[in-house]
Amino acid sequence: MSEPTAAIEPIASVQPKKIRWLKNKKLDQYLVFWVVPVFFQVFGLVFVPLTWMMPPMSPDKPLADIVTFMQTSPLELALSLYILVSGLGAVVTVGAYWLVLARMAVSPAIKYAFLAGQVIGSVVGALLPVSLFGLAGFRSGYDPETLAMFYDFAYLAYNGSLGCFCLPWLALSLAIILDKNRILPKWLGYYTAWQYVTELFAASVWLTTAQPFGWNGYLAFYFNMLLYVPWQIIIFFQIYKALKNQPEDELDNVRLERSLPSYQAVPAYS
Amino acid sequence: MTSSADAVMTKPPTTPPGSQLAGEGSMWFFIIGDLIIFSVYFVFYTWHRGINQELFLESQLQLNQGIGFINTLILLTSSLFIALGAQSVHEGEYRRALALMRTAFFIGALFPVLKMVEWLPKINAGITPGENLFYLYYYIMTGLHLCHVLLGLVIQAFVLRHLASEKTPDAEFVDSGAVYWHMVDLLWIVVFAMFYLMR
Repeated sequence: MSEPTAAIEPIASVQPKKIRWLKNKKLDQYLVFWVVPVFFQVFGLVFVPLTWMMPPMSPDKPLADIVTFMQTSPLELALSLYILVSGLGAVVTVGAYWLVLARMAVSPAIKYAFLAGQVIGSVVGALLPVSLFGLAGFRSGYDPETLAMFYDFAYLAYNGSLGCFCLPWLALSLAIILDKNRILPKWLGYYTAWQYVTELFAASVWLTTAQPFGWNGYLAFYFNMLLYVPWQIIIFFQIYKALKNQPEDELDNVRLERSLPSYQAVPAYS
Repeated sequence: MTSSADAVMTKPPTTPPGSQLAGEGSMWFFIIGDLIIFSVYFVFYTWHRGINQELFLESQLQLNQGIGFINTLILLTSSLFIALGAQSVHEGEYRRALALMRTAFFIGALFPVLKMVEWLPKINAGITPGENLFYLYYYIMTGLHLCHVLLGLVIQAFVLRHLASEKTPDAEFVDSGAVYWHMVDLLWIVVFAMFYLMR
């Protein structure tokens, strides 16, 4: 009976160069990470050039305009695209944060608070509005007043989701500031605290439809975006940097490989 | 003859005393950013006040200047004790620092209590953020400031725990807490002037 390692060696030696990247120990992490920019591209495509939902329209739009907007075919097309990617995107976006959160030396309560808040926030802030727009776009027969209610409800859920995102941003901010392993820079923790503050500012969209605190207001929306967009870019850049700098010894798959018997540690197919 | 030891002793320090930044650099990043965020709100408030002068003046007259003034005194006094406490840490008088910081904490904790004394009768009387644009600004700005006060008290609690548990406390950490509390103080002075005093 021959040794298993002897049988697989010839296969490994003729392995083509182009699949060498598959051997990268951080491949799974990079895949999770790169899904995020792709998701945000689709997200941007759906909400800006396809539907023009963003920048947000006026809360005081005339009823006839609301009905036209809610039942246009680009909305249907865009929503189809969004529904296709939203499930994957929402999950993997949280995963990208989790890659660094899992390595932080902070209380697990903070980490799970972030997870719980992100999941609830994704449902209320992303899936609920898109479902309401989908209801209006794909189902005919609703009267104009009902469509106006969908419009109001969808925008309030999208721009005024408040507490759902207060919790994860506060938890993430605390995790970065209190982390003893210094996975992400401390100043980024403070920057994240402002995202928590912007969610508080967004409370005003429930109280008024007028400037500057309506859902399309200078303060309730545009100023918040000015704080949020650079933060989102910076935090993903920092997550990428943290992934790159992580020593391979810390990776779970490397530890697992080392704990296996030697003949299994030489994988046959990689 | 000048020995090398003398040369070291007479060499001026690379950082002159008093020129070092008090607290952590990341805390200053937060403070400066926070001041910019508040400034944007102050500019918009002033702009809208200019457009709706009568409404804003009429609403401002309903605010309780007395409570506003007491809250100003509370924060200034608390800040004074924080500054003295931080100075004591630098002088190595840790027990005195702990006593001063405790006093600062308890005085500061009166601020949210008084804020409730101010808000609750208004809300019970039906004067909510939806009343008009002035009150929307009023509740958002004072509410946001209150969040900063609460966060400041949490930071102070961490500083107190640090002072009570460490034999040689980290002066930079204590300074960071102190600097944050001074910012909360500074912001309140502007909020008080713009909402309660400006006519």
